[in-house]
Amino acid sequence: MAKLDVELTVNGEKYNLKVGSQERLLDTIRKQLKLTGTKEGCSVGECGACTVILDDKAVNSCMVLTAQVDGSQIITVEGLESKGGLHPLQKAFIEKQAIQCGFCTPGMLMSALALIKENPQPSKEEIKTALEGNLCRCTGYQQIIEAVEAAAEEWGV
Amino acid sequence: MIDYQLLRARSFNEALEILESKKNVRCLAGGTDILVDLHHKDEFFDSVDYLLDINSIDELKGIKLGKKEGEIGSLTTHSEIIENKELQEKLPFVAAAAASIGSTQIRNRATIGGNLVNAAACADSFSPMIALEAEVVLVSKRGERRLSIRDFIKSPYKTALAEDELLKKIVFPMPQGEYYSSYQKIGRRKAVSISRISLTLLAEVKAEKIVNIQVVSGAATPSPVPFEKVNEYLSAKNLAEVDSKEAGRIAAEEMVEITGRRWSTPYKQPALSKLVERAVEDMLEEAGYNG
Repeated sequence: MAKLDVELTVNGEKYNLKVGSQERLLDTIRKQLKLTGTKEGCSVGECGACTVILDDKAVNSCMVLTAQVDGSQIITVEGLESKGGLHPLQKAFIEKQAIQCGFCTPGMLMSALALIKENPQPSKEEIKTALEGNLCRCTGYQQIIEAVEAAAEEWGV
Repeated sequence: MIDYQLLRARSFNEALEILESKKNVRCLAGGTDILVDLHHKDEFFDSVDYLLDINSIDELKGIKLGKKEGEIGSLTTHSEIIENKELQEKLPFVAAAAASIGSTQIRNRATIGGNLVNAAACADSFSPMIALEAEVVLVSKRGERRLSIRDFIKSPYKTALAEDELLKKIVFPMPQGEYYSSYQKIGRRKAVSISRISLTLLAEVKAEKIVNIQVVSGAATPSPVPFEKVNEYLSAKNLAEVDSKEAGRIAAEEMVEITGRRWSTPYKQPALSKLVERAVEDMLEEAGYNG
């Protein structure tokens, strides 16, 4: 089967790639770009571990074929940290102890980032809706919601 | 082994040409059903030689609500439906159904057209569209045809869409005058939840009398259908005479007539009854009618 040409901008860097007909955005990010911060959990769009931001929207990267998103802008968890250090969301997750095993954290951070970029002062309900597609089996969610609230308060743009 | 070639249509016409000239093509919209099938190596792929990505076709996107008629492009995502202020105001039950689907991530990708073409018995987009008496606009190189949503869905996962056709948009008459609505759903959990039972109620009211009523089942029956007996009961009634419990009882009876008694009936009967009761109460409350 013929490979397809795709141009993606991931975390501000442009890539010209060749992808297979069955290659998911998740596979491209992890295997071709070696950005392994994005995790594969359920593979069927239920757990949110693979969440990335695609053209300003949080999406499950296991539910998207890379060839479908030619020309798109993508942010993964690696795009959060800058020269200035950790992103306010990352700091808030650490401060509020919103992490235990950490497997869901990249996806949680991406859903939270998409939310705060669109809605800098989200209510608790809005935070819950934004995170409803992200499962965590350790923390019980309370600390995660508190971390997003704290980050929005400090950094809300 | 799954073996298909992904094709990308750059225009509406190119998509129609591909659908006409090649065999065993399936359109790929948001991908939230097809990628689950891909992961499970589902038999869906046995008859697929080409997946045709239609995401860059702008003609298939967007919502237009006129005075008489409204339309939703098949590639419109559930998030776009929820965020449309005019739709929220005029057709809140359509927004409520969209909001009940999946999670934020799913709603950002999944489309109303995909939901209808996939045609799962639990698909949340059917009951609001049937309540609106909507039609699908199906286009191929042979021409364009309109089909009522009820005729479009044949049985679970089967539609009247021909191999060379593309679902372009969903069109419907806008409810007129004074109207009230409700969308109800129960799943096993709040988010990322498949409907166990869902329904839409849409009522047009004149001088405190119901002049047009549609109570439509979602996941309660194998295919979404209007509850004829409930509609008959509510039809032409003054709001003062409406007994929401009675409407619920009739609906539950009607569901069992359609589905037969199943292992789930002892749960579904009272649950559906309560949902219909809630929908009717929503209508009465919205009408400012507290008995």
